[in-house]
Amino acid sequence: MEAVATVSRPIVSAEHVSKWYGQVIGLNDVSVSVPPGVTGLLGPNGAGKSTFMKLITGQLRPSKGAIKVLGEPIWRNPKIYFQIGFCPEQDAFYERMTGLEWVRALVRLNGLGEKEADDAARAALAAVDLMEAANKKIGAYSKGMRQRVKMAQALVHDPQLLILDEPLSGMDPIGRRKTIRLIRDWGRAGKSIIVSSHILHEIESMTSNILLINNGRILAEGNIHQIRELIDKHPHSVYVRAQDPRRVAREFLENPEDDVRSMRFEAGAVVVETGRPDAFYARVTDMAATGEFGTIDEVTSPDDNLQAVFQYLVK
Amino acid sequence: MATPSTAPGYLPSALRVFDLSVGEMLWSRRTIFMALIVGAPVLIAIVLRLLDALGAPVFQVNGMQVAGPTVFGMMIWFFYLRFTVPVLGVFYGTSLIADEVEDKTITYLFTRPVPKGAVLLGKYLAYMACTVFVVLPSVVIVYLCVVPMRGSLGGSFLDLLKDLTLLVIGLAVYGAVFAVIGARFKRPLLVGLIFIFGWEQVALAFPGYLKRFTVAYYLQALVPHAMPNDNIVSMIQSFFRENPSLPEALFWLFAIMLGFLWIAAVSVERKEYVLEQ
Amino acid sequence: MPIHDQSYRHYGGGRAPAGRSWLVIAWAGIWTFLRKRAFLGVLLGTQIPFVIRAVQMWISANYPQASMVTPSAETFRAFLEQQSFWVFVITVYVGAGLIANDRRANALQIYLSKPLMRSEYILGKLAVLFSFLTIVTLVPALLLLLLKVLFDGNFTFLKNNLFVIPAITISALLQVLLASFTMLALSSLSKSARYVGILYVGITFFTSAIYGALYAITGSTRISWISIGANLEQVVDVIFRLKPRYATPWQVSLLVIIGLIVVSISVLERRVRGVEVVT
Repeated sequence: MEAVATVSRPIVSAEHVSKWYGQVIGLNDVSVSVPPGVTGLLGPNGAGKSTFMKLITGQLRPSKGAIKVLGEPIWRNPKIYFQIGFCPEQDAFYERMTGLEWVRALVRLNGLGEKEADDAARAALAAVDLMEAANKKIGAYSKGMRQRVKMAQALVHDPQLLILDEPLSGMDPIGRRKTIRLIRDWGRAGKSIIVSSHILHEIESMTSNILLINNGRILAEGNIHQIRELIDKHPHSVYVRAQDPRRVAREFLENPEDDVRSMRFEAGAVVVETGRPDAFYARVTDMAATGEFGTIDEVTSPDDNLQAVFQYLVK
Repeated sequence: MATPSTAPGYLPSALRVFDLSVGEMLWSRRTIFMALIVGAPVLIAIVLRLLDALGAPVFQVNGMQVAGPTVFGMMIWFFYLRFTVPVLGVFYGTSLIADEVEDKTITYLFTRPVPKGAVLLGKYLAYMACTVFVVLPSVVIVYLCVVPMRGSLGGSFLDLLKDLTLLVIGLAVYGAVFAVIGARFKRPLLVGLIFIFGWEQVALAFPGYLKRFTVAYYLQALVPHAMPNDNIVSMIQSFFRENPSLPEALFWLFAIMLGFLWIAAVSVERKEYVLEQ
Repeated sequence: MPIHDQSYRHYGGGRAPAGRSWLVIAWAGIWTFLRKRAFLGVLLGTQIPFVIRAVQMWISANYPQASMVTPSAETFRAFLEQQSFWVFVITVYVGAGLIANDRRANALQIYLSKPLMRSEYILGKLAVLFSFLTIVTLVPALLLLLLKVLFDGNFTFLKNNLFVIPAITISALLQVLLASFTMLALSSLSKSARYVGILYVGITFFTSAIYGALYAITGSTRISWISIGANLEQVVDVIFRLKPRYATPWQVSLLVIIGLIVVSISVLERRVRGVEVVT
């Protein structure tokens, strides 16, 4: 019973929170409760994700409203940071220090002694697969290593809540996969994680619980599949530039199993509206591979992005 | 692994921040620049010593020989007290938090379970360590080069100790004052310079209570040497000079240091730091 | 109904002749500062000595008994010397970030990928600082001269001191060019405007402190060439036909000033590049 009570308490609760910087509104009357578990904060650049992150990590004070993290106000409440680990977006370090020195020095601020801090730092670096480079200066790290050492300092003190601001930014595909796996593992181990990104499929691979934000307002929250369904109801435009667009278009029309709803021609290209974008992309890939329909030079989706989703959601 | 759930106290937290910061501060470009600045009087002292050894009339003013201890006193006054100490106070004091904000590393310190004021105190202690570590050896070397010329090392040793203490106190007090300026003003460097080379110079030249609102007024009470004049402003200041007693000067200097450090800590606690995107 | 072309259209309007891009950079820089109220306040503050001197001119013209405040050529020299504090403040305020901020934002590559020469970029940045510094020195000094003539109601002072006009102009330009070039060169060395400000302050006061200490020790002003400020004072004294205040030959002081400007130009030439060559 106690576990249920613990699980039901939101890890972050914001009530009518607004934040403005002079004339610019960063967050506009946001009221949200983030449940325990892994939550993705999704929004385009400039949506207010970082502002929200900074508010819930106590770096900024709300201009209006109240924010509580783990049931307590966060502003000027340093003791709450025992339970919070924050991985910021910016690529900033003490470049002259080695990864181990840096993580160790930071965890000492949590009250650990020298030996305990060293052990904790090593454990954290091992968790992010960075032990081999632990004694290298951070200035010599690659972009992916820098992201990982940032995450190491966030989890070194074994916090209950991890807040990760764009943790996959600048990483190569292998690094992304590893980090996503780590985040899922931490979630399974019982940590609560709030992770922000502007890329839908990245968030999708980490969690099914998301918070959509745009223009400083929460647009939607909840299960990602519900939001996906909304996307699927809205037809996708796909732009196909080909050597012989009419030949390609004929093929689409002759085999309409991918729910081709409409079609129009542009110079050297055909733009198709489809209700099943994933299947349609796969088909175009097969067509390009066979070469029977001439060369297909470009396949893009002008609205396969969050902006289009948001535009649809705000319509 | 069980991690502590109570933070170390204020001072232990500050000391941990000191551990983290002192290495970064010591090997920064700023400190290299400072080392060059305090290296100049050392170079001058060595050159003067060599010239004197070669018989050149370097220590003669208006045909009169000037003793080494007097020259040492002049160098302490002109170079260290009137320039190095306040300028280092400005350079470092105004940048205690500003450097971290500019480098965007402040986030790591402010999302740890230590009070923000302790972060400032730790950085202040690191500033003291760096400046004392660089400035005091420079003074000692100048002393060793200059004083033996028509003077005695042993005889002036007490003056050396007083000068070293004076410089440490000056660094501490100016550092605290400029820590507040750094925490509260958008352009702390300019404000700091206007304070030292504008306000302090003017206030010291006027009779009355105005000079009590300067740091230099109390520091001058600790100077064991004569304070020569090199321009009209310093001549006017010497005309209106009135020194407080030593205990009074020490009391107010420590009060200023502690008071300004407290104000700086409170300012940092309450301020929001918006990092450049 | 004709269908209008919605696609990209190439610019078909007039273009300014080549070599005027520096004006764009200069105007943008000037407007950036003029939009800030705090800076306007500082700029107003720089005119306080002008107001005081103007009052002096008025008093001397209307109250012959106040002969002790009668202006002479030396008054204008003293005015320019007083303004050196404000020159310092404006140089640090305006100049520290001129190139440093561009380096910080990696904007140099963007600037120099346009049809813009490096010299135009430097000239544009220089013009920003130059403009504000002349507002602090040359403009008020010449205005004071004009006020003197207006308050007197005759050209007697001017006829008797005709050299004052070129003296003011050359002295002010020397002061402004020295400050502008050295600050711009320092600004090109770093990505942090704060650090550049510190460097400039350090170099300025450091040289003065060294000279002060050496003067106290040796009693001689022959070594005044060490101090940047002293060199400027020496040369300006000579320009205003006053007795030089230091024993250093004025030619040496002038050489030091010119040398500093040349070194600054050389630094700018090396540092203002689209890419950094690392060997």
